[in-house]
Amino acid sequence: MMDAGRHPNIRLLTNSELVGLEGEAGDFKAQVRRHPRYVSEELCTGCGVCGRNCPVEVLSEFDAGVGKRKAVYVPFPQAVPNIYILDKENCTECGICVEKCPRDAIDLDDPGKDLELKVGSVIVATGFEVFDPTVVKAYGFGLYDNVVTSMQMERLLNASGPTQGHILRPSDGKVPRKIGFVQCVGTRGEAGLQYCSRFCCMNSIKDCMLVKQHAPEIEELKIFYIDIRAAGKGFEEFYQRSLEMPELTYIRGRPSKILEDPQTKDLVVQVEDGEAGKINDFQLDMVVLSSGAVANKTNQKLAEILGIEREETGFFTSGEETGSPLESTKEGIYLCGCASGINDISDSVAQGSGAAAAAEKHLAKLRIEEKKEEIPELDVSGPPRIGVFVCHCGINIAGVLDIDALKKYAETLPDVVFVRDSLFLCSDDGQRRLQDMIKKKKLNRVVAAACTPRTHEPIFRESCARIGLNPYLFEMVNVRDQCSWVHTEEPQEATEKAKDLIRMGVAKARLLEPLYKQSIKIDRKVLVIGGGISGMRAALDLDAQGFQVTLIEKEGKLGGSLNDIHRIYPQDLSASELVETMMQKIKNSKIEVLTEIEITDIKGFIGNFEVFTSKGGLKVGTIVLAIGGELYEPEGDFGYGKFKNVITNLDLERMIRDNQGDIIIDGEKPTTVAFIQCVGSRDLEKNPACSRFCCPTTIKQALELKKRGTNVVVFHRDMRTVGTRAEEHYRKAREMGVRFLKYSPEMKPQVVGEGKASGVELLEPALNRNLTLPVDAVVLACGMIPNEVETGRLQGILKVPRGADGFFMERHAKLGPVETTVEGVFVCGTAQGPKDISDSIAQGSAAAAKVATFICRDTIELEPTTSIVDADMCRGCGKCVRVCEFLAPKLVEKSPGIFVAEINQALCKGCGTCASWCPTGAITAKHFTDRQVESMIETFLTEAV
Amino acid sequence: MSTKLSSITKKKTSEKKFTPRIVVFACNWCSYAGADNAGVSRIQYSPNFRIIRTMCSGRVTPGMVLKAFKLGADGVLVSGCHLGDCHYIFGNHRAIENFERTQAIIKTLGLEEGRLRLEWVSAAEGPRFGQLIDEFVGEVTKLGPSPLNNSNRRK
Ligand SMILES: Cc1cc2nc3c(=O)[nH]c(=O)nc-3n(C[C@H](O)[C@H](O)[C@H](O)COP(=O)(O)OP(=O)(O)OC[C@H]3O[C@@H](n4cnc5c(N)ncnc54)[C@H](O)[C@@H]3O)c2cc1C
Ligand code: SF4
Ligand code: SF4
Ligand code: FES
Repeated sequence: MMDAGRHPNIRLLTNSELVGLEGEAGDFKAQVRRHPRYVSEELCTGCGVCGRNCPVEVLSEFDAGVGKRKAVYVPFPQAVPNIYILDKENCTECGICVEKCPRDAIDLDDPGKDLELKVGSVIVATGFEVFDPTVVKAYGFGLYDNVVTSMQMERLLNASGPTQGHILRPSDGKVPRKIGFVQCVGTRGEAGLQYCSRFCCMNSIKDCMLVKQHAPEIEELKIFYIDIRAAGKGFEEFYQRSLEMPELTYIRGRPSKILEDPQTKDLVVQVEDGEAGKINDFQLDMVVLSSGAVANKTNQKLAEILGIEREETGFFTSGEETGSPLESTKEGIYLCGCASGINDISDSVAQGSGAAAAAEKHLAKLRIEEKKEEIPELDVSGPPRIGVFVCHCGINIAGVLDIDALKKYAETLPDVVFVRDSLFLCSDDGQRRLQDMIKKKKLNRVVAAACTPRTHEPIFRESCARIGLNPYLFEMVNVRDQCSWVHTEEPQEATEKAKDLIRMGVAKARLLEPLYKQSIKIDRKVLVIGGGISGMRAALDLDAQGFQVTLIEKEGKLGGSLNDIHRIYPQDLSASELVETMMQKIKNSKIEVLTEIEITDIKGFIGNFEVFTSKGGLKVGTIVLAIGGELYEPEGDFGYGKFKNVITNLDLERMIRDNQGDIIIDGEKPTTVAFIQCVGSRDLEKNPACSRFCCPTTIKQALELKKRGTNVVVFHRDMRTVGTRAEEHYRKAREMGVRFLKYSPEMKPQVVGEGKASGVELLEPALNRNLTLPVDAVVLACGMIPNEVETGRLQGILKVPRGADGFFMERHAKLGPVETTVEGVFVCGTAQGPKDISDSIAQGSAAAAKVATFICRDTIELEPTTSIVDADMCRGCGKCVRVCEFLAPKLVEKSPGIFVAEINQALCKGCGTCASWCPTGAITAKHFTDRQVESMIETFLTEAV
Repeated sequence: MSTKLSSITKKKTSEKKFTPRIVVFACNWCSYAGADNAGVSRIQYSPNFRIIRTMCSGRVTPGMVLKAFKLGADGVLVSGCHLGDCHYIFGNHRAIENFERTQAIIKTLGLEEGRLRLEWVSAAEGPRFGQLIDEFVGEVTKLGPSPLNNSNRRK
């Protein structure tokens, strides 16, 4: 959000509401109502004087009602803009804040404002709401103090929350010893919601781990569940780790009731044990209700304003049928995150990027190349002339630190020629004066003692650059966030500390050097490798934005795994029709499609890749990996290979695809078919991950068989039909008489028979005896594994790392799901990990969006704060090559047998890790050089105030 | 107000009391941000340390840490993102390796192990940052002045 707030092309309208939309894609007029915030965004610096003086205290919404806030407040600690807002409902209009505000920013009569915006497209990202658990009367939420929602628990666990991260139970503020988590509150058939809300299982598991970290004295953690749905990349592995916690027990069953002891406020959770037919009681100190997600209530109003449709569940209807899950029912309006259904963070992030790619189609003609005016550079040669500017930040700094003492002290420091204080250095006025002084006093280094460089360094650098002072000659000293705010009660020590910090800043400033951004030319052509659904989507999105795309597919036909599939679930649409629609779109586009082709080598780096293939070479600037995954080969498992009537889910899918009528397995129509789930998945030895798609696939196949009069039994560990539609199909299958039997990994079912499989044997835990179910055929629900040959080969060529699961590893599991550590190379679909079709498509769009941000210009500017090698000092040991995750350093043979490292500036991210490993000191990490850092250490320790 | 007074009087009466000098290296993306977050949350903690910002914990060389000790620092804390969160993927893993190398050297210099620490603090863990500093300052105070902390101390 910080980044969004600072981005020059993003205008953030907070506290605002869309009230009308006219026009069409590419030319919308949006009416926006800016509600009054009563605090001027231009004037407020977030100093907090108003909040401290406000006499009104109310429950904080952000802390889910477990903490307090004032009537004039910052909604949450990381709010952007980080300024105050006045809550008129609770304000008593006493006027204290108006009087106290040092900048006169508060106006109790602020009328708000109406705006009209011209936009090309609209993205709806209105998210979800949490189901209100008071509806489920049996759980006593709202009646019992110690029954909380998972949202409230989240706040209790947060270090910046109301209890500073201490878990204290609401009734008496004591640390609870026994905590229970009740899953599926409101979802999966309870209280009207049919679907599964997908992320609650993982959330409770995470909470249990955090509770253990925050309160090691915890004795018992219990999760009451129906199925544990750890379906997502890395989720199953996380769940497995939780099984090692001795305090945590998983109890299967949906609690029927929660009771409270009115004296102690302790709780009893009652759960029916279906197998033994009795009710078990669990004594707990606190219970967390895992409330499901529901569609945002305001969706209805918004749907009317936007003119788009909604589902019965309240989520917006998307264009999944046409392979465009991010499209709404109206052109130019796109959906992402939880607007169209339930999505977890990484899928939401991918969808966000994807929606941006789609939205850009309508902006392509509007895209303007930014032009920068040339500003003559100030001459900074000669000895350092340092100016030190000390900011009061209202009373935030000046209220604690002795500004005069700081100024006097700064004047005594070497090379400091000018010192000045300012009430608000970052205000327009403050900046202007800073610029004037740089020119007037011929300053060639600037030190600002103010707030944090993380938010304000860019602002000051910009001010320096505007008047021609190289922005890297600016140094910031943090005397607010890390000094006056945290040592408020020790003003003397705080002032001494600030003096040290200023001295250290000046020491570094004396050694600063001007740095220049380099720009490199980039080729705007894109290569998409793999013609499955995700690759096709990525290519189409890029083509729609006018970029030149080459799509290569090693087989003779586009479509990938979709070619094997009959109908696609949960949407229930024909796979061949979807492939046909997509191919038609590709035919009508300018995308160059090359099939039956093999990549032999790729050379170069971002913006400049040279690709060698069996059909000749090509040059591109960016690459999208969409090579898909592969089905696990169950050789030897459950009689596969031995019995002809044991087949895989893929075999069955093809049979269904090719047969409208009866399915014939090994020569006959089976009366009873058994499915065995998690074959080659969730197996600690073979593949610990959950493949995610196989549970819903089994449900759809079971329904197909049922339709044809076949009995179906499913042996599973947890049925993982997550999301808004899959759970409904699961319910339907149960209603139609499909039997579901649970097995545990220690007690796997056995396929028995002679010559052919005739039964599945399973230990009946309640009766402790083996039960054999007669069957005529067995279907193994095989999981997804990486496409070993292709993934391995491309890893070798491009150096994109693979995760522990063997799939390509993304840059960041949550925040960079389609980026890789190799600049200019992106990944999407099942090449990144097992997933279903709509998630593969969303990632395809997301990859397109990320590519587009790179190639929307024909050059890219490189941050100059990189590392460089001094060739004379390098002895070619290769340590830097080993420690760099971005493949920036390379050993180059200068003369026969003599190797010297070179760092590719386009790849270097400037972390400086290589510099800390170079044994000869040949590497300089610019702006954080050894000399610069050491001078700060030296001056702190040897030149005491 | 009372705390303010007491801290001032405390200072007067115990002029000779040992206050350690500690260098803290903090990576830009997590721990430095965590220290800022402590400020935003107005967490109050010991002022006996100075932060030096680097882009990544992997940037901190054994040389920098040793320099601090040689010049008389009583303690050094290297802090970075939690494992798995490093902005540069594995920079903090390199920091662990560097830390181990350095720990071995400071032992040979006759310094106690407890004077050098490596900790992970996320951008949201302001309170933890404060706690950590208080804890470390307490620990180093218990160890007393660094044996190398003499000539250079005060001019
Ligand atoms: C039996 C079965 C049933 C399923 N049912 C459903 C369902 O009902 N609903 C659902 O949502 N999902 C279902 N799935 C999952 C779904 O198939 C995948 O999520 C989706 O097809 C993945 O698309 P993709 O583009 O990522 O990969 P793929 O479709 O695998 O495409 C990858 C393509 O890349 C090509 N390729 C690989 N290497 C190279 C190379 N080096 N050069 C060029 N080309 C290369 C491959 O030939 C392939 O065409 C099912 C899967 C199976 C196995
Ligand atoms: S069958 Fe597949 S989706 Fe279901 S739990 Fe097992 S691995 Fe996950
Ligand atoms: S670590 Fe230093 S000496 Fe070794 S190859 Fe890299 S630059 Fe050269
Ligand atoms: S960026 Fe924080 S440790 Fe690497």
